[in-house]
Amino acid sequence: MSDPRKTIDALRRTLGALDNDLIDELAAGRVDRRGFLRHGSMLGLSLPLLGGIASAFGVVAAPTPARAAGKPGGTIRVALTVPAGAIDPVTIADNGGLTMLLQGAEFLSVLQPDLTLKPVLAESWTHNADGSVWTFKLRSGVKFHSGGTLVADDVIASIDRLCNPKNASNALSAFKGILSPGNTKKIDDLTVEFHLDAPYGAFPYVVSSDNYNCVILPASYKGDFEHAWDGTGPFTLEKYTPKVGAAFVRNPDYWGAKALPDRTEFTFYADLQPQILALQGGQVDVIEQMQVSGGQAILNDPRFTVIREKGTGHEQVHMRCDTGPFTDKRVRRALALSLSRQKLVAGLFRNLAVVGNDSPFAPAFPMTDTSVPQRDQDIKQAKELMEAAGVGKGFAVTLTTERYIEIPDYAVLIKNFGKEIGIDITLNVESQDAYYGKAQFGQSDWLDSTLGITDYGNRGVPNVFLRAPLLSDGPWNGAHFRNKTYDTLVDQYGRSADLGGQRTLAKQIQELLLDETPIIFAYFYDYLVPVKKGLTGIPPIANRLFLDQASFA
Amino acid sequence: MTLFLLSVLVFAGGQLLPGDVGRSILGPLADQRAVAVLDHQLGVDRPLLAQYGDWIGHFVLGDMGMSYIYRAPVAPFIGTALVHSLKLGAVAFVIVVPLAILGGVVAALNVGRWLDRVITLTGLSATVVPEFVSGIVLILIFGVWLDVFPITATWPPDSGILTQVYYLILPSVPLVLVLFGYIARMARAGTVTALDADYTRTAVLKGLPYRTVIWRHVLRNALLPTIAVVATQAGYLIGGLVVVETLFHYQGIGGLIYAAAKSHDFPMLEAGVLTVGVIYVLAALGADLLTVRLNPRLRFGGAA
Repeated sequence: MSDPRKTIDALRRTLGALDNDLIDELAAGRVDRRGFLRHGSMLGLSLPLLGGIASAFGVVAAPTPARAAGKPGGTIRVALTVPAGAIDPVTIADNGGLTMLLQGAEFLSVLQPDLTLKPVLAESWTHNADGSVWTFKLRSGVKFHSGGTLVADDVIASIDRLCNPKNASNALSAFKGILSPGNTKKIDDLTVEFHLDAPYGAFPYVVSSDNYNCVILPASYKGDFEHAWDGTGPFTLEKYTPKVGAAFVRNPDYWGAKALPDRTEFTFYADLQPQILALQGGQVDVIEQMQVSGGQAILNDPRFTVIREKGTGHEQVHMRCDTGPFTDKRVRRALALSLSRQKLVAGLFRNLAVVGNDSPFAPAFPMTDTSVPQRDQDIKQAKELMEAAGVGKGFAVTLTTERYIEIPDYAVLIKNFGKEIGIDITLNVESQDAYYGKAQFGQSDWLDSTLGITDYGNRGVPNVFLRAPLLSDGPWNGAHFRNKTYDTLVDQYGRSADLGGQRTLAKQIQELLLDETPIIFAYFYDYLVPVKKGLTGIPPIANRLFLDQASFA
Repeated sequence: MTLFLLSVLVFAGGQLLPGDVGRSILGPLADQRAVAVLDHQLGVDRPLLAQYGDWIGHFVLGDMGMSYIYRAPVAPFIGTALVHSLKLGAVAFVIVVPLAILGGVVAALNVGRWLDRVITLTGLSATVVPEFVSGIVLILIFGVWLDVFPITATWPPDSGILTQVYYLILPSVPLVLVLFGYIARMARAGTVTALDADYTRTAVLKGLPYRTVIWRHVLRNALLPTIAVVATQAGYLIGGLVVVETLFHYQGIGGLIYAAAKSHDFPMLEAGVLTVGVIYVLAALGADLLTVRLNPRLRFGGAA
């Protein structure tokens, strides 16, 4: 047998600079197997190839526990938060609606538990040298429920519809500065080319399930999704009653492995509490998503398994850098140092979360530089910083935030921690509507408050977290943080498609944010999906409930 | 007139709520351009008077309009929810009214004694227990532990009337608890007054049997104020059950109005509130007619 290293050398000659850089990272031990597979898959290398390369460098997979293949049949009953409105792929913004959407419709690729992308309607993707043009090969023989075959025109129409400012597209901000309408070109029936506004290393994530509006619909779609519920997915709609529930049945013509359940049944609930009671009472088998606060009864109950999905969702505590008591970065650092992150994780999440280090680089992201020292509670240093900033006697400030899951409790804990270093915090907890207001500067408590807490959902790459809330012209920059060095670093980071380069930039960004601390990132929480014991096959993918391989043991 | 004023108030009140329709559909983080496009598509960027005029113009012709949020006609939503609410309200009503009147009258007949105290105190204590507390306790005891009642109020499709009533018993109990003390107190007060009245003394002194005195003279007079109270609660029983509907997972009109208000779905909100308004008016009218029926002094041209 030939030396695997020689084979790799031969292979490397055929790969681009970005791909070779990734292999260098692996060879140097700077990236683990998981990170290597994840990043390689984003660059468009196939998983078997990546696995082979990793093995050649002696980086083998941890043995995965053997999982019995589920048996077909049965009905899976799900409790779901009532969709906030009409099911419309273009406008949808809520969990309930999104879950409905992805039962029957599919994405080009799907974010996996390890944050890699699994090809779905796209078979593979590649990019040009600087990452400004991405070419996607589509799967052949995929049929829409309405009978048509998936071709490039469907993908082009679906993506163009979402990045066009003339439509009420909820994905508009995700495409802004990345892809403009009309720049998705057909090469042949099964190949499309995305010509980006600027090089963007993480582009495959922008058209994956990570950008949840991006389901692929027929080119002829006219905006009446609830009329036909068309898609390519493993289930087809049986019945949908707004505000009440829905049922889906197995799609016998599905292009991939057929769905195991005969049927899935969704019942809509206005609140988490009745969903928990329904699970306890045996009326549903799954709750689509549960928070630790409010879900204690289920966590302690041996009749249920809680699927734990490592997430990158978090709450951002912004401190205004342009006015008020937090203009001095030493004061911002002092408040960050007053928090005991371990206590927050234990108290708010029963340890079903990980601590954050005041940057969007969650430990789950492979480009996060974990050698950057973790910030921890240090009251002495915090008091010294307050003294040095001339506010040793403390000051009073109002913390404005939204009534949403654990945030009010988090606010109370921040108030208590702040008291220890002399910061007297008054809480102003509002409804979400009041807090977000018009979501524009000058008309939003979120963007105008001196100190505030805002929720951010799960993402497969940190790019959105790095840009909108922190760039000088970021539309969600409640901290009013303006730092040219940061802007340049993030711009370079966005263009960079190689993991080594991203990690180097990540380290610099992490250190800059620790020094400046415009936002406290104290934790990244897990997503929890409680299921009846014996129900298996639901992949632990945060915020996306896929039921096609679910079955009862 | 009342209903017209109500519609104006609801419309004006709706404008005071923070946020707008487009943003409540697209979420707080959506691009402002997309919100503007959606607001335009829905027509909510027009002047307020134009929006109201357009809506009321259709409403008086029997067209409740299209829901902004569900982008479907409002009427079927209101119809389904109203039927649900009427059923739940009816079950609760049938349980609580006889029970509370009986309790009040028994308490009055035993005024000052232990039975009176027990009934009055129990009624008052139950009234102050919020529905979300009594509801959860009831679900845990009867739905989860004893498993004798379903924990949701939504019956399976194609259920018969008895099954539907069975599903509605548990959700009715929190309402019974809230209303029992109130109605029983009115019944007790009315009965105590009537027992003290001259006509009762006359009836007793002229030798009528005790039962006849109570039925024909005391109750008939004692229950007049109670009827008015019951009528004012009918609106609450139909439109004010947001908590019970949420807890027992029931699609009633209270929850519909609450959700519409939260999401700025003005046509749905107006239609829901006006429907409940009509129920109030009808209940008051019904109570008036019943009072007239029971009180000959109010009849014109009757045998007074």
